Amino acid sequence: MNFVHLHLLINHVPTVGTIIAFGVLLLALTQKSDDLLRGSFALFFAIALVSLPTYMTGYSAEAVVKERPGVNLELIALHQSSALLALTFMEATGVVAWFGLWQARKPGGRSKWAVPSVLLLSVITISLMANAANIGGEITHPEILAPGQQPAAAVGALAPASLRSAAIRYYQFHHPNAWPTLEALHFIGLSLLFGVVLVGNLRILGFMRNAPFIDIHRLLPWGVLGFVINSVTGMLFFVGQAFQYIDNIAFHFKVLFMLLAGANVLYLTLFDDVWALGTGDSAPRSAKILAASQIFLWLGVIYFGRMLPYIGGAF
Amino acid sequence: MESFFEWLQGLSISNWIATDESIWSFPTILFFHSVGMGLTAGVMFIICLRLVGVWRPLPVSSMRMLFRIFWWGFGLNAITGSLLFAAHATITGNQPIYYAKLTLIAVGVVLAFPLQKFVKGDGSDGIIPVGIRGLAAAGLAVWVGVITTGRFIAYLQ
Repeated sequence: MNFVHLHLLINHVPTVGTIIAFGVLLLALTQKSDDLLRGSFALFFAIALVSLPTYMTGYSAEAVVKERPGVNLELIALHQSSALLALTFMEATGVVAWFGLWQARKPGGRSKWAVPSVLLLSVITISLMANAANIGGEITHPEILAPGQQPAAAVGALAPASLRSAAIRYYQFHHPNAWPTLEALHFIGLSLLFGVVLVGNLRILGFMRNAPFIDIHRLLPWGVLGFVINSVTGMLFFVGQAFQYIDNIAFHFKVLFMLLAGANVLYLTLFDDVWALGTGDSAPRSAKILAASQIFLWLGVIYFGRMLPYIGGAF
Repeated sequence: MESFFEWLQGLSISNWIATDESIWSFPTILFFHSVGMGLTAGVMFIICLRLVGVWRPLPVSSMRMLFRIFWWGFGLNAITGSLLFAAHATITGNQPIYYAKLTLIAVGVVLAFPLQKFVKGDGSDGIIPVGIRGLAAAGLAVWVGVITTGRFIAYLQ
């Protein structure tokens, strides 16, 4: 098992998963079921998380496949830029779906725009994912082409060339302030995210008791904002210099910790044991253990992020 | 000043931080400096955003204990920051952006006192005075500036 296997294993999640989540969403609307609606939104959020390593492991697959004789390099580049476009819409779908879940917790009811936005974004995501997956398939499976059909590389594709790794690396190389600016934003995002993580989990651990959790819950979108800032800047680091990360053990741990920690925001939004904490209330022990593990996981993300150049040799 | 930087950098601890190849010297101090940043700037962002007027239902008085985290984080970073500086004093000591960062930290710390006084005061759950809001907005900008200048120190050498 290596990261090429992992790519081939999880690359079906964004394509098949979004179609399933979309189906659940349609079912929720026809059945007028709130539970199904929440389920489909949670599914979109989870798929958005899994899509990050799906994209990143693609570079490990590229490193192996491009050494083969006769492989179409243009097709690989096209798969990469189409995948980045699809990933962008997938992440937007996940964030908007989470925001819809969060909004539904607000006293005063759910928002009117969450369902139509997720519907629209997920339809776009499904078509972009199908496109990226199809081009990816052509790289090593030319047999999927009909007799006489040209590969996608010859026909042209949806994704702009500016989304290619080479274009992003070129930009970073010719704009010396680009990388440090992204670094500054990455650390601002980190602080914002970590601040919200601390406050939210400290309340669960028993500090700040004169705030009911319903008020603390208002902070979560700002933590998600920090997460989004860091996903965008982090992906720009990755796309520009993928080969200093894909074989970097510190990076593997960073992503693992980040996915585990990221999934927790669903727990805080979906489950009632923390949600119901009023002024002065104490959280159940299970929630406290989870809260402590959250702080630990985010410290781990910071640790392995900071260690990228020292354990793994990134700069 | 130059001779002071040279003396500082010549200390055995500075030398160890700068030249030791293991992850337990410079990298580990750098990690703790990042954690200190998350604590200091992180809770200050929350305090300032609330005082500017975000998350109105959240009682301001519930944020009292956050100042303890802020000061612990600040202490951690004063120590780790000094160690990181000592390791490369002759380089960092000659970077204008380093002094921009120190100035911004000083402003940020000075701003923390009136904010702390208000949050810990009896009337903190009442109306937030315009002056406090203004200081909180300035606090947000200052800590964003501290992080940005700090990050650029590594790249403007």
